[in-house]
Amino acid sequence: MTAPVSTRSARTVNSRPRRSAGVGRTTTSTKVLGYVLVAPIVAIMAFVIAFPLVNAVITSLQDQRVIGSPADFVGLDTYLKVLGDDKFWSALGRSGIWLIVNMIVQTILAFATALLLQRSGWWSKSARTWIVLPWVVPTVAVAVIWQWLLNSNYGIIHKMFAAVGIDIGAPFADGPLTLITVILVNSWHWFPLSAVVIYGALATVPHEVIEAAKMDGANAWRTFWSVTFPLLQPVLFALGLVGSLWSFNVLDTIYLTTKGGPAGATTTMPVYIYDTAFSAFRSSEAAAASVLTVIVLAIAGVLFVRFARPKDFA
Amino acid sequence: MRSKALAAIALAAATALGLSACGGSSSGNTADKEIVLWHMENTPSREKAFQKLADEYNETNPEYKVKIQVQDWGQVYTKIAAAAQSGKQPDILFAIPDFATYVRGLGLGQPVNDIVDDVKKNDGLIKAATAPYTDGGDVWAVPLYGMVQMLWYRADLFKAAGIDAAPSTWSELLADAKKLSAGSTTGIAVPSGKNLATDQVLYSFMVTGGAANMFSKDGKVAIDNDKTVGAFDLYKQLVALSPKDAGNYSWPEPQAALNSGATAMAVEKGQYLAPFESESGRPASDLGCAPIPVADDGGKTGSIYYSNGGMILSKDKAKQQGAGKFLEWVLDPKHYGDFLNAEPGLFLPVTENGATESNWRDNPVISTYKNCVDAMLKQSETGELFGFVDGQYISSIGEISGQNILAQAVQQMTVNGMSAKEAVAWAQKQMQDAIAK
Repeated sequence: MTAPVSTRSARTVNSRPRRSAGVGRTTTSTKVLGYVLVAPIVAIMAFVIAFPLVNAVITSLQDQRVIGSPADFVGLDTYLKVLGDDKFWSALGRSGIWLIVNMIVQTILAFATALLLQRSGWWSKSARTWIVLPWVVPTVAVAVIWQWLLNSNYGIIHKMFAAVGIDIGAPFADGPLTLITVILVNSWHWFPLSAVVIYGALATVPHEVIEAAKMDGANAWRTFWSVTFPLLQPVLFALGLVGSLWSFNVLDTIYLTTKGGPAGATTTMPVYIYDTAFSAFRSSEAAAASVLTVIVLAIAGVLFVRFARPKDFA
Repeated sequence: MRSKALAAIALAAATALGLSACGGSSSGNTADKEIVLWHMENTPSREKAFQKLADEYNETNPEYKVKIQVQDWGQVYTKIAAAAQSGKQPDILFAIPDFATYVRGLGLGQPVNDIVDDVKKNDGLIKAATAPYTDGGDVWAVPLYGMVQMLWYRADLFKAAGIDAAPSTWSELLADAKKLSAGSTTGIAVPSGKNLATDQVLYSFMVTGGAANMFSKDGKVAIDNDKTVGAFDLYKQLVALSPKDAGNYSWPEPQAALNSGATAMAVEKGQYLAPFESESGRPASDLGCAPIPVADDGGKTGSIYYSNGGMILSKDKAKQQGAGKFLEWVLDPKHYGDFLNAEPGLFLPVTENGATESNWRDNPVISTYKNCVDAMLKQSETGELFGFVDGQYISSIGEISGQNILAQAVQQMTVNGMSAKEAVAWAQKQMQDAIAK
């Protein structure tokens, strides 16, 4: 038996706490107090966010070589120079490959790990702690570890494959293979974060819904695909958006392992920008490439939100 | 309400004060009597040795005491640019020649002719050490220590392969490398990663191939010639005889390979001496050394040579004098040995007196490998450095060396399959673009 709508509405209204007289009025001094209290943090945020951005745009309109050296205003000339540079487009394309392959590899690894963590065995329980180890290892250590593991003289992975007659070649020095190697190293470093987030999201899926699906005869795959996965979509959407941006901007892993080589095979956009600024000493060109990258990322972000956003995502 | 407003204003004021404190600078009387020194030798042993010397100097009660601030090569370019902009540059900056051109481009640096003349008169500075800092008749850094490359080899592996003497020509080098390649051992390990190590080893072969000068008389890039092609072609063959992941090698990997016996030869500076016995487990006699092999046709003895110097950046006359006194104190034979012993074998004396200084000569590493040390000193006399050959001073050399264009050209051969001739033409264009306005 349900209560009439009018009764429910009345109850809802009545259940709201009554506002005491005077709470709705805001005095001028209270407003001022509010502004004063938030002013420092607003000033700090404006400084740390707006200043570098504005500075990058200004630099990109100049012809500055070494950072901080005198420069002339040249309008859009620097942008035209960067857009006419084949290396810029190669780096952008490579960043696209980097982003997509990283996303695929990390998603598969993270999902598989999260599903394993959900199990009730002792292994799964202990893994909930140590699985994050690759993520907490500093990037410089990750780079050194993998260079050691894959070194042809003393690398244990190299030796293991050699022992069964497989020559893995030179994973960090062999053109296209190097990009794949660095992507795998980066994915190994970052997938635990996604795994933990997905594992957390899996824990929020109501047990009753899963049970109901099983009772309706759905097998494990059907239950996952039709029940669990849709319920995880908001989390996956947010993770995909933030993770993609993080992944795109990775510089340290690449620079520490290959410096963008061999022969530019791992020169993604962040490496291109870094090299332009700090190896070629062309600050304005680096700034212009940065601004163009921000625009590309903004467009990609808007498209991602437009097409990948779950219907009920606020 | 008034008390709340007052509290808020106080909070805002405190925050503002805090922020201003973060950005402010402290300039007390102590700072006025200090000479700030930046160096980039950031391995623990070198840091400790330099600090010990500074402490010893400060104990002599000089007018200006030396305060060391250790920097990193990866960050010093931006840090010194920022320091130049804010007028807070160090008073002394350790530099190598191409970095010195960069620093001078920022409007920093003072001529040090008087100090150099004094050292030359008292202790005999070697020419190769001052040449890369000499521009327009002025010297822009006081040479402090040199570094030169040699061919290092495993004498035990040579003996096992029936090779009696170290190779002295390119053809002998290739023949020996092929002969020594057996099983998991490679004949040689040369780096071909995108890094300065590759630049340096390739350049040593350019020197011994007669292609040391990369510029024409009017300062234009001029590497597209037969001699450079010859050196590139040799390097391509050497990479093929190196471990298969040499494409990612820098400084440490060839050394590790040599010490482990995974390779029989390597080309590098004197840092190979000190750790050889402990890392290889072999007697010191198993580490052989020889000058870099020369081209069979028209080659000349030599190697890349880095003269590390101290630039004086202070704009204050009194501090300039104080900085000069410290640098002269370091080069005084009484203290110079301790300075060189910061990295025995790698840091070579730049003065004639320094080469005989007993404190340095008695160092266990130097005395154990006396023959190799003497060979390095001899090699120093014919050392060259790109951008500073035959009295040249190419002020834009930093823009070429910073991008590792020589190393990138090697990768064009080893990864993209370019011929030596194509790679040289590629490098010529990249260098021209690098220094174009």
